[in-house]
Amino acid sequence: MSANESPPGAPAPGDGARFNDRVGTVTRDIIGRASANRKTGRMVVALLLAFSIFAIANPRVFLSPLNLQNIGVTAPEIGIIAIAMMLAMLTGGIDLSLVAIANLSAITVVALYSGIAANDPALAESLTLPIIVAGVLVGIGCGMLNGFLVSVVGITPILATLGTMQILNGIAIVTTGGSTLYGAPEGLTAFGRTALGPVPILFVLFIAIAVLMALFLSTTSLGRKIQLEGANPVAARYSGISSRSVLMSTYTLGGALAGIAGVLFLARNPTASADYGASYVLLVIVIAVLGGTNPNGGFASVAGVVLATLTLQIVSSGFTALRLSSYEYAIAQGVILIAVMVLDYVAANRRQRRPAIEAPPDARAASPEPTPATAQRDTEHS
Amino acid sequence: MQTLRRFRGKNNEGVLALVLLALIITMSMLSPAFLTAGTAFSTLRSATVPLIFALAVLVVIVSGGIDVSFAAVAIFSAYTAVSFAITTAPDLPAAAIIAMAIVIGAGLGLINGIVIARFRLPTLIVTLGTQGIFVGVMYTYIGATYYAQLPPSLAAMSSMTVIDFQTGTGRASLHVMAVVAIVLAIVVWWMLTRTMFGRSLYAIGGDVEAARRAGFRVMRTQVLVYVLVGVLAAIAGIAHMVMGRSANPQDLVGDELDIIAAVVLGGASIFGGRGSVIGTVLGVILIQVINNSLLLAGVPSAWLRAAVGLLLIVGVGVQAVAARKKARRVHTLDEDKSDRLVQEGAA
Repeated sequence: MSANESPPGAPAPGDGARFNDRVGTVTRDIIGRASANRKTGRMVVALLLAFSIFAIANPRVFLSPLNLQNIGVTAPEIGIIAIAMMLAMLTGGIDLSLVAIANLSAITVVALYSGIAANDPALAESLTLPIIVAGVLVGIGCGMLNGFLVSVVGITPILATLGTMQILNGIAIVTTGGSTLYGAPEGLTAFGRTALGPVPILFVLFIAIAVLMALFLSTTSLGRKIQLEGANPVAARYSGISSRSVLMSTYTLGGALAGIAGVLFLARNPTASADYGASYVLLVIVIAVLGGTNPNGGFASVAGVVLATLTLQIVSSGFTALRLSSYEYAIAQGVILIAVMVLDYVAANRRQRRPAIEAPPDARAASPEPTPATAQRDTEHS
Repeated sequence: MQTLRRFRGKNNEGVLALVLLALIITMSMLSPAFLTAGTAFSTLRSATVPLIFALAVLVVIVSGGIDVSFAAVAIFSAYTAVSFAITTAPDLPAAAIIAMAIVIGAGLGLINGIVIARFRLPTLIVTLGTQGIFVGVMYTYIGATYYAQLPPSLAAMSSMTVIDFQTGTGRASLHVMAVVAIVLAIVVWWMLTRTMFGRSLYAIGGDVEAARRAGFRVMRTQVLVYVLVGVLAAIAGIAHMVMGRSANPQDLVGDELDIIAAVVLGGASIFGGRGSVIGTVLGVILIQVINNSLLLAGVPSAWLRAAVGLLLIVGVGVQAVAARKKARRVHTLDEDKSDRLVQEGAA
């Protein structure tokens, strides 16, 4: 929090105070962007490092086209959920229900398709697009439910999404009867198999969605509002931003992205079950934090999240190439998560001691005194 | 009105008790088999492990954090101790195995506590990370074997009951571990309300900075909290294995959120500084009774998970709406009213 900002809860700020709030938020935002850039740079290094380590350790398996394509096909679904998690974290919340939403929308698609195909396979095939839209709509609906609980009812995001996660998971178990459902529209699976040259189409789609989200956050008014809401809710309120509608759109958008992720999963693998990807909840949080998202809100970078997704997918397939178990991968995830946060803390502390040298040039130009470290210190209790 | 307010309790414990009572009355009218000592004891039995976990979660939540690694700590410490006893020292007395589990649990809790307190990191994310690490380390380095037989000393505890009598409808017995859970609940209640350590948890949970300036040693207290969680979790892990008569490394992990839901339903604030043992006990028992009643009513068990989620949202939603109404009532000062107050004050 910058120094030139009025204390939260000031009863009725005059124009001066409001201006101050806005300056404070803008300053913070610039600093946040600079720090996100630094973190994105760090992710590029981590990505290259991970890639070279596994490429050297087991080039025959790791560098095989099949393995590289596999990374490209599995990264999208996780990456898109991670972007949705990043959105929730950007507003200072969290969305634990994303994986459950993705599963539910995949189940919807499979159930609709096999339900129609049982009577008339040709009709089911011709309805591919509406069925997919229905799947994504389920995701949007679930996201709106989260948004309603968080913004209108006022439940803390972690508890609201914890509750909806349980409910959606329960619904998924009941509809599937606890078993795995098979069958997805032919068109969808065919789409999942196509590639642009060596690059799988799913990966291209992932990058397209990531670019759209990055543009959305940095250029549209709603995107800016989402960032401001997370950076400083009080300042955002005094700037005339309705936190209710911002939160509502954030969680709805998150639900839509999770729904898309569910459909992409089907394009890769035409099965759906209630407990698919239970470990993804941890994984997407790791990716979001690793990609430079501040879990307390305000700063995030889509590029960082994309790079973090690729890095973790590379680590995962590298572990497989080295014949390490999924449990060793779980250890690696946990260690990476904690190590990154500890390093961030240490770096922020060091910058605080020498602000003039370490502060990025554009941040220094905008405001001489506050550093990211002060922001870091204010957020300690969470 | 005064007594009514006192009954309602600081964290709506009274409301919770009424809901529980209403549920029990409804169920016993619907099914005569419900209101018996046997049902009561079996509910207590199934609530034993969740209750010990919930006490651990309560302590963390009161201190302003959240811990999702407790189930991993529980299974790690209990499984490690039991598998050590089975593979290398089958004659180890039960007390030694339990002590070993507690030491391991405390050690894992210490790791959580040091990372969280020293580097001031978000507790949810750190414990998500350590959860993965603990489970991974257990499977990779300690083992993944399912032991259908506990070491003899622990197996003897499996059938140990404190009260055991024959009733008209069957046997009713109170397991020794249920008594352990009750004793732990009393100890935690005493600690939270009567000791300096307990009070400092509320202070830190209410406002870290204020607590620091008031002279509480925040870092030390936070580390101790997570050590305490580790100890409680280890006891819960042992209780789970003793009551289940087997050691399965795949147990427990995955149901953390049910426990957190119970504690939050019991009136603990996720932001810290609020929560009581009585509320937590009521929350845990309410969830158990609802689960039992749904099963008795013939609802498929798949719905239980959704029911807990719905209960959580309704419970927390009601609290959130009530809190906002209250905040509006107390703090609203519209412009002219506040101006008038200022003028009156000046006059």
